[in-house]
Amino acid sequence: MSVLSVPPSPPAPSRPAQPRLALPGAARALRLELKRSAVPWVLPLLAAVFYFDALRTADGFPPVWSQRATIIPDHMSWEVGLFAAGLAAWAGSREGRRKTLDLVGTTPRAAWARQSVALAGTLGWVLLAFLAGVAVIYGQTALQGAWGGPPLWPVLVGVACVTVVTVLGFAAGVFFPGRFTAPLAAIGVFLLFQIGFRQVLGITPSTGTYALLSPDSGVPQVDAGTYYHVAPDVSIVQVMFMAGIAVALFGVLGLAQGLRELRLGGGGAALRAVLARGDGWLVRAVAALLTAGGVAASAVAFSLAGTARPDAVTGGWQIPALHTAATDQPVPYAPDCSTSGSGFQVCVHPAFGMDLHQVAAELDPVAAEIAGLPGAPVAARQAASQVNGQEVTSGISGRPPVFVYTADHVGAYFGLFLGFDPQGWQEGFQQGLLDAFIEAPAPPGPSSARDNGPAPLDAAQQAVEDVLLAGVGSPPLGASAGHTASNGKLSTATLADINAAAHRFGALPASARHAWLAAHLAALRAGTVTLAQLP
Amino acid sequence: MNVEMRDTRRSFGKNRAVDGVDLQLEAGVFGLLGPNGAGKTSLLRMLATVLPPSSGEIRLLGRDPGGAAARREIRRRLGYLPQNLGYYPSFTVVEFIEYFALLKEMPPAAVPRAVAAAVERVDLGAKARAKLRTLSGGMLRRVGIAQAIVNDPDLLLLDEPTAGLDPEQRVQFRALMRTLGENATVIVSTHLVEDVGAACAEVALMSEGKIVFRGTPDELTARGAGHGVGDAPLERGYSAVLSAARLSEAQPGAVTAS
Repeated sequence: MSVLSVPPSPPAPSRPAQPRLALPGAARALRLELKRSAVPWVLPLLAAVFYFDALRTADGFPPVWSQRATIIPDHMSWEVGLFAAGLAAWAGSREGRRKTLDLVGTTPRAAWARQSVALAGTLGWVLLAFLAGVAVIYGQTALQGAWGGPPLWPVLVGVACVTVVTVLGFAAGVFFPGRFTAPLAAIGVFLLFQIGFRQVLGITPSTGTYALLSPDSGVPQVDAGTYYHVAPDVSIVQVMFMAGIAVALFGVLGLAQGLRELRLGGGGAALRAVLARGDGWLVRAVAALLTAGGVAASAVAFSLAGTARPDAVTGGWQIPALHTAATDQPVPYAPDCSTSGSGFQVCVHPAFGMDLHQVAAELDPVAAEIAGLPGAPVAARQAASQVNGQEVTSGISGRPPVFVYTADHVGAYFGLFLGFDPQGWQEGFQQGLLDAFIEAPAPPGPSSARDNGPAPLDAAQQAVEDVLLAGVGSPPLGASAGHTASNGKLSTATLADINAAAHRFGALPASARHAWLAAHLAALRAGTVTLAQLP
Repeated sequence: MNVEMRDTRRSFGKNRAVDGVDLQLEAGVFGLLGPNGAGKTSLLRMLATVLPPSSGEIRLLGRDPGGAAARREIRRRLGYLPQNLGYYPSFTVVEFIEYFALLKEMPPAAVPRAVAAAVERVDLGAKARAKLRTLSGGMLRRVGIAQAIVNDPDLLLLDEPTAGLDPEQRVQFRALMRTLGENATVIVSTHLVEDVGAACAEVALMSEGKIVFRGTPDELTARGAGHGVGDAPLERGYSAVLSAARLSEAQPGAVTAS
């Protein structure tokens, strides 16, 4: 055995070292990680999922920014997220899976810095894919002439969501390296979104509002964000919560190297050795700070979510500590209007300006059919579908009478933009106006005061409506078997009785029908006219 | 001194992998021989600063690897080829070596030239752009050697470097080791005694975590005079020393190793 008997030799001169965070070196390493990331291999599959789910769902929404923006947290976050989690786990487990821990452990670059570059490589690709999807959806919406501007908070929520699942997957890969870690991480994220987040929809203040932290928001009112701003309160706490988790997990990665060395060393001697070595105190201090800061941010966001309450003005949620009254102010707008040859004016909110021509084309003939009758509207205008947090139904009000309709409560089919059915939309819209006209006229208002949607007609009213619909070329929807079965007022009349009365009334000359309606409209609205009394 | 170890020990539970090793090495090629489980890899991992010693002292390149700053400087000047080389199949030869050059904090401007030189030194120029997944075991070994020498290390630790290399490559690699040993301390752990005889100026033989022989290859050969086990003279010396060490372990005082 050789015996060391000479005093320690003086250290050899140090080599010039790059600063730890020298950009060129880090940038070159990042370039390598981006170049050899597994994410690009999965992009075609991700693009297919995006096309068949997110983009097609967006196509089903009207080109209203707030509607289209819900695709980002509700669809894109989990679609990109589950791929991101799996791919990040694959990247994070690389050193353990490929057994390079010893090799990379002999390099001066701190494990945390090394992992940060690998994480950045995966996250860069994932966010690029995510933002490309956002650009496609927003670009398409802009090209369709949407009113206003693209909301940014849903994008930030989506970015935070994708980031946190990426960091989560990466950390899972680092701590549990194995070939099954990646698929398990992806499956875990999928279940988290599909079971965990979806379960919490439909929350109420009485059941606790912490579930608002879920990025899965559901589809809002069709005109959300048009009459009133969408308050960013909930988005802020969502971003804060998820970003806090991501930062905390990132910090834990920085602390993990010391834990690994302790595990390798084993026992108190190893603990003393690690402490004595003072291995990267600065790195560990920063990691500890990030961990603590992330946990604190998430905790604050969690507690803020618990204080959420329904917004009395817009119907959304507000968080008092974050809420500003400015978001409760109506958004100024100038309606888009058109006037028919008969003088009937139709106005829509400019966010629905693309529908003006079609709305006018459907309402004008119906308005002409009833023009001059008592209570017949001389104009139609669109109003907010929610007032003070309550849904609004359509109705006729004012002098001269104006048919006020909302984006999604005119007729049984209006607003069914998902799986859009133009014929059904047209018929439903026309029926909506006639329902409001034939029933006792009622001003539009909160739905708590009336049934949600048009009230059911009695048999005589239904027969008259069928005739008026037929007059403008629409089939008598109201007397369909389904409508009849669901309408309690029609229970004493058969479908054949209504059809027979409608046939009899429709056979009259238009002037005769008009004269009869002018004379008996009040009784018809009051429900005192029977089928037999129809001429 | 590039390597100074004093009564260094490393245990895994009750198993003493390295048991009181004293060693001091200057520039040159140093062979580390020993049977499986003798503690060679554990010794190399401690020298590579991957594994802290359970007790004893280590100074590498005149620095105590226990300090973070010193350890960083040591690692910057260290080359290490582990026994089982892990690699990233999707990386090309150049990318893999460049990756480690960057991890070794080489000045970025110097990296391309250093990578090219390392690739040429292991004769992989024709495969420089090939993905690692397409390479044979011997080529991968050469990639491992290239990443170890890319930073022109002052301390080069090679664990079974010639495993998988064909005879021609082994000859070339021995020449490379001799060249590197002119300025750096090269420690080669191997089972192949002919590598030691051809490339090493000094050799140590480990058994049961201890260094039971240290000397020149010729001295090791001389120990084998009259010993019957082994085909080559150096192998006979290896077997003779090992047998004596085992006997000494069983009967303390029977044999002394210098």
